[in-house]
Amino acid sequence: MKPYKRPQYWNSPTMGWWERAYVFEIARGLWVTGSIFTRNMWRWITGRKGALTTYYPEETRADYAPLNRGKHILVQRENGKPQCIACNLCATVCPAKVIEIEAAFDPTDPLHPKYPARFEIDYSRCVFCGLCVEACPEDAIRMLKEVPDLPTFDRDTLWLGKEELLTWNPRKDGAKR
Amino acid sequence: MPRIYIDGLPYEADSRQTVMEVAAANGIVLPGFCWHPKLSVAGNCRLCAVQVEGRSWVEISCNMPVAQDLKVLTDSDIVREYRKSILALTTLNHPVDCGICDKAGECLLQDYHYEHNGAPSTSHEVKVHATKFHALSSRITLDNERCVLCSRCVRFTHEISKTKSLGIVQRGDTSLVRASGDGAFETDAYSDNVVDLCPVGALLSRSFLYKSRVWYLKATPSVCPGCARGCAVNLWHRKPEWKLQALDARHNRAIERITPRDNPAVNGPWICNRGRDLAPLFERERATQAICAGFSVATPAAIEGARSLIERARRPVALVSSWASNEELAAFAAALGRHFTVFVKRDREPEPGEVVADDILICADKNPNSTGALANFASAWGPGSTLPEGTDLLLVWGEGFDLAQVPQSLRTIVLDAWKNPGHARADVFIPVSIQTERRGTYTNFEGTVSGFEACFEKDDSVAHAEDLFAALAAANVAAA
Repeated sequence: MKPYKRPQYWNSPTMGWWERAYVFEIARGLWVTGSIFTRNMWRWITGRKGALTTYYPEETRADYAPLNRGKHILVQRENGKPQCIACNLCATVCPAKVIEIEAAFDPTDPLHPKYPARFEIDYSRCVFCGLCVEACPEDAIRMLKEVPDLPTFDRDTLWLGKEELLTWNPRKDGAKR
Repeated sequence: MPRIYIDGLPYEADSRQTVMEVAAANGIVLPGFCWHPKLSVAGNCRLCAVQVEGRSWVEISCNMPVAQDLKVLTDSDIVREYRKSILALTTLNHPVDCGICDKAGECLLQDYHYEHNGAPSTSHEVKVHATKFHALSSRITLDNERCVLCSRCVRFTHEISKTKSLGIVQRGDTSLVRASGDGAFETDAYSDNVVDLCPVGALLSRSFLYKSRVWYLKATPSVCPGCARGCAVNLWHRKPEWKLQALDARHNRAIERITPRDNPAVNGPWICNRGRDLAPLFERERATQAICAGFSVATPAAIEGARSLIERARRPVALVSSWASNEELAAFAAALGRHFTVFVKRDREPEPGEVVADDILICADKNPNSTGALANFASAWGPGSTLPEGTDLLLVWGEGFDLAQVPQSLRTIVLDAWKNPGHARADVFIPVSIQTERRGTYTNFEGTVSGFEACFEKDDSVAHAEDLFAALAAANVAAA
């Protein structure tokens, strides 16, 4: 059996006498981490922007791409009713089958007699593909660039209903001022 | 027997047939709204037009009698161009609101438009508006904007249901289908067939309105148990892959609608309105709890109780269900038939207000399998029947028998699917499955046997009657 030979790597560190002296380099490293820590701490205490940590979920990232597919919203008509006509095309095209719509008949509104009595999306299974937005013939469902902030301990609370999807307002999320 | 050529291929035809009928009989699908195999020829939609070879223009095939060596082309350039313009005309005033139309997915206009036209409307005129949601009856709503005036519904009420209750009023693009003023359409026992007949979404069932898109539903072939005719029907229920999770879970096990399934031997393409209203009958509150000597017990324990009662009985009597399938009745005959004195009981009698019998489809016997049951067991249980002398055990299978009729001292076993307060009187009650949970066959009053398939899984606490009798048979053999 051959004796173990330590492998040589092309990028193995080569240290000069300054590095070998140890204490100077340690002090330099402590200075780098300590200065970042105190800078972030100072910004956090004084409530300024620019701390490297994002305080999820109170804070959402500012650098989402404009075309990022995040949370769904249901578009409203001028009278506050959903634009949705409960045609179920989004639910049909959805590859994860997360949309469930209960249609109802509204005889008082002859132009829009069919409306969604319930509109439910399961965010625990949604794959954010955006096909529902593509399929909608009425531009009634859109996706915002912000991702939904739904940390929860219960799978059932990940179903969002019509009221939530109609009133969800991205500005209410805890983005930093 | 003239021979005709469709697109160059020869077909044998009967001299009384039309080109459309020959094509349909040979599996060639010609488009058309107004032509229906069971109705007279109206020839008003013009969509089935074909070109006779050598002529420069088209003629409608539904009204073209066959002639020796007639050569028609169904897909020539002229025919294609003609179909396209006819579809453009048909959709001229059509609202194209497929998104909220219940017919979308099984609509002939949609299919033909994709197949033969596919182009958006070239019209710049404002569409003619007409009444929407016109209540033709308490069961049917009419959207006149979607109507293509094929007159299938009108011809149905004139030729099949014979109430003459629908007609077309006014002319041109203000033509409207309307019900006659005498309310005959309201009382027409076959009125819902016009919903299936309607090639577009003009006539819609009010009970099914906006309930579900049709592509979420699956049709299971079944037999209507409403009367002894045993019409072939399709039970439409939600596909398992479209199971609802957040919304009302009852829809996952509900019959959403019932439509006729074409069976020339029994009902043709029609069923009565009563047959479409079976869902509430099936979806009554189910019995799921077995009872033994007044206590709620598990189903196997109740079967054990029934077995010991049967073992001890000297002169047991059974009233078998005329809603049972032939397979279940055969299982009963094989397992317990020799031990029991058997009567065939009518489970249901006509309800007040119901059409009892007519000369179209509806039969007076409101049980699907009386014929099959009487083929197995000769004697029928009528209103005047009495139990034989010395009866010490009564087994009642199915509904329609009130236990209060028999003395309290008589031991009773009851098998039923639905909840009924009378069950508490039974010594043993065992819940059994219903038609939608098992497969089997019924024999109708003419002796035609038709089969039905299971739509739903049965509950664990409920027994299939067929398995139940096999379990009870073991006891019977041991006792003998």
